[in-house]
Amino acid sequence: MTESLSGDFKKALEEIVGCNYVTDDPVTRFTYTQDASLFGGTQSALVVRPGSTEEVSRIAALANRHRVPLVMRGGGATIYGQCKGDPDRTVLLDMTRMDRIIEVNTAGMTVTAEAGIIIDKLVYACKKEGCYVYAPFAPVHMVSLGGWMSGAAGSASLWPDIVSITVVLADGTIVKTGGGPGTNVHQPIFYNRNLGGPDFAGLFIGDGGSFGIKTEATVRITKYPPLIRAGIFAFDEIEPALELVRLHVERRTLQRFDPMMVFAAGAMKNFMGDDDEVAPFTVQAMIQGHDVAELEAKLAFLNRLAEQCGGGHNFLLDAMAESMATPSEDSEMDWMAIFNSFGLPAWLPFTLPRQGFAGVYKKLLAWRDERLKEADRLGLHLRTTWDMFIPTDASTLIGEIDCFFTDVDNPEAIVFIRSLMADFQKYAHSLGSIDVYNQGFMADLNASCWSPGFKRLFELVKASLDPNGILNPGQWVGSYLNEQGE
Amino acid sequence: MTMTKSSMKELEKVRGYIYSCRKCGVCRYKMTGRVPYVCPVKKASPGFENFSSRGKMLLAQALLEGQIQPSAGLARAAYSCTLCGNCMTQCGATDPDTRKPLVDNTAVVEAMRADLLRECPDLIDEAYRRVLAHTRQYGNPWGMPRSARGKWSKGLTIKDAQKEHADVLLFVGCTMGLNPELARRAHRAAAVLQAAGVDFAMLGAAEPCCGSVQKRIGDTELASEMISGNIKLLNNTGCETIVTLCAGCCNMLKAQYTGLTAKVYHLVEYLARLIKDKKIVLAKNRGLTVAYHDPCHLGRHLGVFDPPRAILKALPGITLVERAATRENTICCGAGGGMRLFEGGAFAQDMGREAVQAAHEAGAEAIVSACPFCETNLEAAAQGLEAPLPVYDIIDLVYDGAGLTG
Repeated sequence: MTESLSGDFKKALEEIVGCNYVTDDPVTRFTYTQDASLFGGTQSALVVRPGSTEEVSRIAALANRHRVPLVMRGGGATIYGQCKGDPDRTVLLDMTRMDRIIEVNTAGMTVTAEAGIIIDKLVYACKKEGCYVYAPFAPVHMVSLGGWMSGAAGSASLWPDIVSITVVLADGTIVKTGGGPGTNVHQPIFYNRNLGGPDFAGLFIGDGGSFGIKTEATVRITKYPPLIRAGIFAFDEIEPALELVRLHVERRTLQRFDPMMVFAAGAMKNFMGDDDEVAPFTVQAMIQGHDVAELEAKLAFLNRLAEQCGGGHNFLLDAMAESMATPSEDSEMDWMAIFNSFGLPAWLPFTLPRQGFAGVYKKLLAWRDERLKEADRLGLHLRTTWDMFIPTDASTLIGEIDCFFTDVDNPEAIVFIRSLMADFQKYAHSLGSIDVYNQGFMADLNASCWSPGFKRLFELVKASLDPNGILNPGQWVGSYLNEQGE
Repeated sequence: MTMTKSSMKELEKVRGYIYSCRKCGVCRYKMTGRVPYVCPVKKASPGFENFSSRGKMLLAQALLEGQIQPSAGLARAAYSCTLCGNCMTQCGATDPDTRKPLVDNTAVVEAMRADLLRECPDLIDEAYRRVLAHTRQYGNPWGMPRSARGKWSKGLTIKDAQKEHADVLLFVGCTMGLNPELARRAHRAAAVLQAAGVDFAMLGAAEPCCGSVQKRIGDTELASEMISGNIKLLNNTGCETIVTLCAGCCNMLKAQYTGLTAKVYHLVEYLARLIKDKKIVLAKNRGLTVAYHDPCHLGRHLGVFDPPRAILKALPGITLVERAATRENTICCGAGGGMRLFEGGAFAQDMGREAVQAAHEAGAEAIVSACPFCETNLEAAAQGLEAPLPVYDIIDLVYDGAGLTG
């Protein structure tokens, strides 16, 4: 660590956040050098846990004056690595102390919270008010709101619901985006992010934390439906299963919380008894309605579609659907999040247009199977336990192919898995997939595919907002790809 | 200070757990209606990763791989854990075939402590080493003279297990038996058993320390010596049943005493059966709303959740309310894993306050538990609150409900 960081700079930070929340202890710093990924966390000279937007603002201004790099960390849940950081220069901001709910506004249908909040807590605060945030396919128990907005945690489904973001710029300026008080001095509440000026909230979404430090956000909330039903249908082939999804989303107004998921057998077996027969593909749907008649009509419609596509259901699947629709108090409406809490650490998602998805999916499965055979040949005991893919909206599908591995203390296996994940993403990219992860390796991979114009725009924005390059340095510039010799 | 691979005997034994941890952070952050938070230490501390279970698993792995070496900071991380096991309960890492948990975080923390204590004792806080020295000198962790054991039974006529046969051995434990404040509860337990007509004995001054405290703070060798000696002593009594008053003793005897011939129960398990069999008549009505605090050793680790609740429900006038985090999700009181010795006990106090506050918020007028460690910490924590709740051991209420006095 440089003397300036260990001495005066540390002292200045302590004056901002308090002595308890700044540390240069090597053991503590070490615990931030890894995260949920096999790609690594952040090396740092100091770790700081700020407690408010104002503290973050003062830290940024201080760091900017001294050209000290800042790396932000939320839940540490990214699976493709984080900014590598510099053990002598980097100050890591552990944002998770900033986890307060500021307001659940059931009149305006928004929730405002600090960005370090873990999505679980956000979901629960809304649930207590009879509402939910659309907390989709990411491990909600460990992802922070800030990380999610930045794209570190994958799954962009929340992004359209973000109304406003409070951001601290590199020089310490506090900006509130969104068509509310941040944009218009006469406007007391946030209600639509693109009113009254450009959509600057969008500027910071998916930026990987490169344009500013997110400290608060206002997110749209929705009232829980009075009634829920579920339907599950079994298919022998993937194509008719996808056809059911297509018919469902194209012939009806897609309500966001009428999600469907298609499970391959490996995924489905996790939710069934050891002796139960598992169909090769299963389509699951959660149906919401205001009254029984609406619900029955929707379900009848879905049943007709499924029948048309050749989908079948049986007593076991019906019982499972019934159970999904009547969750316990603790798990109410959280089952998708729970599904997705399982996938770590080797989680291989890809996002594709629906058109042609089945073909690409099969290619990716074949690719994975070849790599797993290769692992067998090398004597590495990797084990594929399940695979799944998830329709998210009318235009794209997100697929996941999961691999768990058993001999993870074998360094060769770790290297193999890491390369499998990286190669998988490269292959998926070559087939037209774009992943939502904007952190670590994936940020590099995505940036390597940018068009010249997009890249120029990014550079201009970055240079304008962070001229000294102190925020998440190394992000998007190929440090992970370079590590692989590319 | 360095540690070689061969000096990490205990960590090597739990290597599988360390590498099965996915470092995902569920143990740091999970929150649901029943899980307000996972780790009480993280909440009571400044909250850096080294205070969370994920951080400790990372450090254990790094120690095994030689990426870090023993230091005061590492010892601080290893000892800042209640060993409550809530991180394991909330962890999603299960074997895809057997669906059993893949990670035992408490075993990893205990192993890290054991290797550090054995190889680098100077790094370990004096408070822990004092407990171990007391054990060697006095046979108990609290430095009380051996002659003080058994004083709790003054005024009662109880069989001496080394001289007379009895069906049941009442194993009081060091904390309940030697702390003058708590000893009345041992007395009450014996009185209740007598009133129920149970044929039981005690070991009095010969009762040994079970070794739980020593194992938890890392002296596995001392604990092993104690266990092997204790098994012989306990088997020699010929008792078929051992009833413990302390959750820690119960967990230790049940889980670690391989070769023990007697069946081990905690008092709440035994009393629940006596009440069900109408051997104890609970007639006295005492209007009180209580929250039951599940001791980690008894609840999460042994799965004993229903018997204490059955007892409370059988007590006339007692209304049981549950905190949001209850049963397997219970947040540790803060006394586990030697945390009352950690940095003067400030963290333990904070954790205790949270537990009492949660009971208050649930509408309880009192908090009831079944472990002297929990009760001591909760009582101390409750003192500092604006509306302190009284803390009872369940035996207090049963004794009262049975109409016993004195």
